[in-house]
Amino acid sequence: MWPSEQDNHHGSSNNRAASSSSSSRTSPSSTTSTLLPRTPKRRTMEEVWRDISLCSLHHQERQLTPMTHHQRHSPATSPSFRATMLQDFLAGPLNRPHAVPPAAADDVTRPPSSTTPLTQLSLSPTSLEIQLMGSDAHANSSSSGHNASFISPAFSGNMRRPPSPIGLFSFCSKEAVSENPSASCDRRHKRMIKNRESAARSRARKQAYMNELELEVAQLLEENSRLRKELEELRSAMAAKHPKRNAVQRSSTAPF
Amino acid sequence: MSRDPLTLGQVIGDVLDPFSRSVSLGVLYKNKVVINGSDFKPSAVVDKPKVEVGGDDLRTFYTLVMVDPDAPNPSNPTLKEYLHWLITDIPATTNACFGRELVCYESPRPTAGIHRMVFVLLRQMGRGTVFAPQMRHNFSTRRFALQYHLASVAATYFNCQREAGTGGRRFRGDD
Repeated sequence: MWPSEQDNHHGSSNNRAASSSSSSRTSPSSTTSTLLPRTPKRRTMEEVWRDISLCSLHHQERQLTPMTHHQRHSPATSPSFRATMLQDFLAGPLNRPHAVPPAAADDVTRPPSSTTPLTQLSLSPTSLEIQLMGSDAHANSSSSGHNASFISPAFSGNMRRPPSPIGLFSFCSKEAVSENPSASCDRRHKRMIKNRESAARSRARKQAYMNELELEVAQLLEENSRLRKELEELRSAMAAKHPKRNAVQRSSTAPF
Repeated sequence: MSRDPLTLGQVIGDVLDPFSRSVSLGVLYKNKVVINGSDFKPSAVVDKPKVEVGGDDLRTFYTLVMVDPDAPNPSNPTLKEYLHWLITDIPATTNACFGRELVCYESPRPTAGIHRMVFVLLRQMGRGTVFAPQMRHNFSTRRFALQYHLASVAATYFNCQREAGTGGRRFRGDD
């Protein structure tokens, strides 16, 4: 999936200067199919977010592009995690308030034939502060070229989008990642999943022990009060049985 | 979310199916009682514990199983479960010394992660009806119980990590 997207971008950025957005993008169906890698959707999502944080850390260029959210329904990705990563990422360059990326892959696959987004794109400088491939100049409205064509479908209808996985991925890979990007992403992804599970187990462990202690305390308190009551009862029973223990009693009478 | 420690610790789930506790089970390592989720270092569990069994009828016999469902590593338990101890024919109201040790006690020596060491008490149909498995690893308590017609009546577990372990994650208070 990624390589093909990459090719698209390379192609779009290098070869097609001012082509319309529609031509720069594959058709919705093929995009969908290419966006869905052999691996599950959520892995792509994780790769994206990793790439976002890694690229933002390592590269100074602003690389925010609209986020194409492939799996809003992914059970594995916790929104808070994404939010945290996103907020870190957005802390600097952008002040986008949205933590949760909206709309699904249909954003990417939405036919770029709608003119409004393009118009918005071209006319609004703020929307184009997003810079792809680290080139500042292209971000401006004047250049509707490959960047616009690239970004526009994702931009359509909503300016506020987290970074696009496509752009970031190609950006990162353009930065000469020495090993196969998807392999390293896989490793990181696996590590992240493992860490999540470990964290969940840790929480479960803590919760289980806490509950156990609470139950123990309740039991012990109950036993304690029960024993005290029993003790009291026994004491009073003893006292009732021997009322005058210490009193001197006549035990036998001498005949004289 | 269940409040039961056995469920929260996923002992019910990974090792056992839900059951009702009908018999008391007390496990003591050097006079420290095992309660669900308590921590024991390998040095503290080198020797076999004292196990006291409840119930009411001396003619009822129980089997005690001690397994590690997190062997060799909780995040990748390929040897799950690892059988550490198997005692059978324990009469009710007595302790494990009165039973027959089919698989001798192997002290836990976890190398990676924090392992749950689970004790399960199972009621037998009759005396002398349980036999030892071939291997300790890849033991399945569920399968074992089905095979010998055993019913779980009690369970407890503790956590064990390597002697030099860090103690697990620290919580910053927002968990």
